[in-house]
Amino acid sequence: MADSESRVCRKTYSSSVGEVHPDVQFAALEAQTRRHFLRSLSSGVGALFMGTIASQVTHAAIVGGAAAEGTRLDFRRDPTTPLLALPPQFPAKVRRVIYLHMAGAPSQLELFEHKPELKRFDGQDCPASFLAGKRFAFISGVPKLLGSQYPFHQAGQSGQWISDRLPHIEQHMDDLCVIKSMRTDQFNHAPAQLLVQTVNPRLGYASFGSWVLYGLGTENQNLPGFIVLLSGGKSPDGGKQLWSSGFLPSVYQGVQCRSHGEPVLYLDNPSGVSRPLRRTMLDAIDDINQQTYAAFGNPETVTRIAQYELAFRMQMDATDAMDIRKEPEGVHAKYGAKPGKASFANNCLVARRLAERGVRFIQLYHWGWDSHGSDAKEALNLGFADRCREVDQPTAALLSDLKQRGMLEDTLVVWGGEFGRTPMRENRNGQEMKYIGRDHNPGAFTIWMAGGGVKRGVSHGETDDMGYEIAKDPVEIRDFHATMLYLLGFDHHKLTYQFQGLQQKLTSVKPARVVTEVLA
Amino acid sequence: MSVSGPDFTTLWVSRISRNRLSLVLVAPTLLLLVLLLFFPPTGSEGGALLQFIGRFHPIAVHLPIALILLVPVLELVGRTQQFSYLQASVPFVLGVALLTALAASLLGWCLARNGGYSGPLVTQHLWGGFFVVVISSLCLGLCGREGRAARLYPIALAASIGLVGFTGYRGGQLSLGEDHLTEYMPGTLRKVLLVSRSSAGRATGGAATFYGVRIQPIFAGHCISCHGPSKQRAGLRLDSYAALMRGGKHGVVIKPGDARGSDLFRRITLPPSHDDFMPKEAKQPLSGDQIGLIEMWIAAGASKTQPDLMTGPGPQPVTVAAEVRFAEIDYAAVAKKRAAVDAALIELQKRFPNILEYESRGSADILLNASLLGPRFADEDLAALAPLQDHIVTADFSRTAITDRSAPAIAAMKRLRVLRLMDTKTSDVTVQSLTTLDQLESLSVFGTKITPAALPALARLTKLQHLYAGETAISSTRSLPESLKNKIVRE
Repeated sequence: MADSESRVCRKTYSSSVGEVHPDVQFAALEAQTRRHFLRSLSSGVGALFMGTIASQVTHAAIVGGAAAEGTRLDFRRDPTTPLLALPPQFPAKVRRVIYLHMAGAPSQLELFEHKPELKRFDGQDCPASFLAGKRFAFISGVPKLLGSQYPFHQAGQSGQWISDRLPHIEQHMDDLCVIKSMRTDQFNHAPAQLLVQTVNPRLGYASFGSWVLYGLGTENQNLPGFIVLLSGGKSPDGGKQLWSSGFLPSVYQGVQCRSHGEPVLYLDNPSGVSRPLRRTMLDAIDDINQQTYAAFGNPETVTRIAQYELAFRMQMDATDAMDIRKEPEGVHAKYGAKPGKASFANNCLVARRLAERGVRFIQLYHWGWDSHGSDAKEALNLGFADRCREVDQPTAALLSDLKQRGMLEDTLVVWGGEFGRTPMRENRNGQEMKYIGRDHNPGAFTIWMAGGGVKRGVSHGETDDMGYEIAKDPVEIRDFHATMLYLLGFDHHKLTYQFQGLQQKLTSVKPARVVTEVLA
Repeated sequence: MSVSGPDFTTLWVSRISRNRLSLVLVAPTLLLLVLLLFFPPTGSEGGALLQFIGRFHPIAVHLPIALILLVPVLELVGRTQQFSYLQASVPFVLGVALLTALAASLLGWCLARNGGYSGPLVTQHLWGGFFVVVISSLCLGLCGREGRAARLYPIALAASIGLVGFTGYRGGQLSLGEDHLTEYMPGTLRKVLLVSRSSAGRATGGAATFYGVRIQPIFAGHCISCHGPSKQRAGLRLDSYAALMRGGKHGVVIKPGDARGSDLFRRITLPPSHDDFMPKEAKQPLSGDQIGLIEMWIAAGASKTQPDLMTGPGPQPVTVAAEVRFAEIDYAAVAKKRAAVDAALIELQKRFPNILEYESRGSADILLNASLLGPRFADEDLAALAPLQDHIVTADFSRTAITDRSAPAIAAMKRLRVLRLMDTKTSDVTVQSLTTLDQLESLSVFGTKITPAALPALARLTKLQHLYAGETAISSTRSLPESLKNKIVRE
């Protein structure tokens, strides 16, 4: 909440303007930009001209403009309940998202991309055509081609290829929709993760989860609507910006919860402070905040009031939701969860409990997939195998729990990293390295989805025989987001927020396409 | 010198004007001939200005038709004593007919050359128009003369009438369709005249072939008005298999075995705003199923003879890169739909915040998620939702305190598609009363006391797709009703 604290003082405006509601006043001032100025200037000149001829013409133009405005969706809410659930634009296929982000970018060539041709050329010099005009994070000189380090086989009735590293996820192969032709234009982790989560490689944009929360609100007002859980020993490179609300009101940012101990620090009352006493304290603070809001009209003040209230309600519910000890022993075994220890398995179990409790967007980051081969932890034959073990069983258990309860019908589960890895073995500084690894490859990577409205047991898109570049049906990150928004019941053009004179939207200003081929 | 008398005057006037007229008309007639010979219609669209001018052809063409048909009337009626003066007007009428026929023919060429027409119909129509001009000139030259010319004149007149009829019929075919005269002919008249029902637009690939049954009707319904016997835009005809495979002036449009490489498939799957998109203009675009059929057919080799083995409502098309089209929400219509339920919903939302909401911004259907209230939601709360029972389509009662006493209230929610009773105290009693829910697609009884005894009741729910019955007495039972076997999720 440090972020919102800094925002409180961001802008202050005098209240002397009169009886205009502070909210309106603030919005009007904030919305006034160079673009508005230029637009109103040009239309003003036009109006002067037209006014001399026929005033009805400008009137018609204004009325027409207002009609166009009318087609915008209204996301306004009472400032005291900013997370109130709103119906989607269209009947939605899914009502919540569980996004499992494998930070560091897992190698698709060791998991889902079966490339026998690459195996055949294993150890040979990479052809020059692969290197022309490419930038790599570490590869230099002429690297060697590297075949998959693990055997592949076909799984399930759908017969999709998978390596032997994910034996539990393999059981759900007939429920997965594997997109093998994802593409990005970022080859470093932080910007690539930002691109995947905010559809923009730069800071300051709103994350997918924030957009969903802004568009749909959340059902359970006693829990944050967008919860982030981390595991793998390190935060993702993109940092807290990955669940930032960007230009959206900060109340829509993701709330990072701890995976062991108290889910949110200082949520419990200290000894000697009773719940009624806490309530009295909050009422006093709310009163002061209300006065500040009346004076300055900054909606961030309202956000702050709402957050205090949320924290008060969370004292009861969050602690319960996060407490996996309340699950029976058999469930712990199914996930491989060990209460009290931070792990991806624990987070998966928490994710299921949060989904059951009506949390709109649950995001898990598991760090450690950056398999360059620079040390044992980053080696495809060592650390990579550990990462697979860490996520395989819990991911499968989560899918199985959701399916068993019927919740996979209206939940979207997404699993994937931020880019792919090269079919070439990494040769840092042109030297052969002790451990086996692959460099970053923005040209192609694999993401899978499962859940409502998505085809089951299919692959979409293809890469070339080396798994290096996309051969068929490329899917841009913004296409992927347009598709997920479609599943959530939105036309991505219509989920917008007015900022800097633009109707900002998740899918950016570039054209995005709903990937209808993966829709059930 | 006073020379008078109507005969002489008429003759004199007509003689003079005939000579002049013929001089005036030689150049445009030759122009028309050159245009027809060297610039025939090609099927592609030309300049907008010429097209604009050409569009006046249908308006202009009726005057010469009427005038030419008027001439024999004048001649016949003029033979009677009473109307003999009418004969004097014949050269004038013929002259005007000739002038306007020539103008209409030139306009017609503009339309045909630039409006994207080609094919035998339009060629015959054009040449028909030209010969009408020629034969009208001949009539004008012959009328009022003596000797052999007088004997030829009626023949020329008859020929001109025949030609006008022929040309007009072809014109009608071009604008109204090839069988425009017989299309709506009464059955009895049809029998008398021995006119068979036209086969245009019907399968030409044979009754039992995939092409004949599934593919040709699509072309017949959507394409052949521009790519058929009457018009061949871009030189392409889609009314027969041979013509289809021959392609048009841009080359072949079907590559057997390669749907995505086929120009025809590319054009029907483009976004409708694209310049190359087909069918053009205001015509109905092909549906997803039709596109899927065409893709299947091309991918399977675009055979003419492959038998149609599909039965039932039609195929599930293979993946087609369709585009999502988002409809605008008509808020006025939504308000109307919601009028009956809005007040009740708002009232109940006050009592149960956050658990009741419309399914979407354009819907009057309601989603209920009572699971958020957990044990705080009990039978009497559910009973209070009765005013919304006809609008609730999804209801989640998981982990609530409801019991079998709520069974009638749930059974009254007749439009339910999704019902979740996970971890509640409901039992077979509730489940057996759900037979009224004929829209139910998904039912979760996970963790309830349901037993296999409830299964026969569920087997009667025809729309049920998924029954989530983990952690119940059903999860271990062996004997399942046949109709539920593939629908039960147990572990």
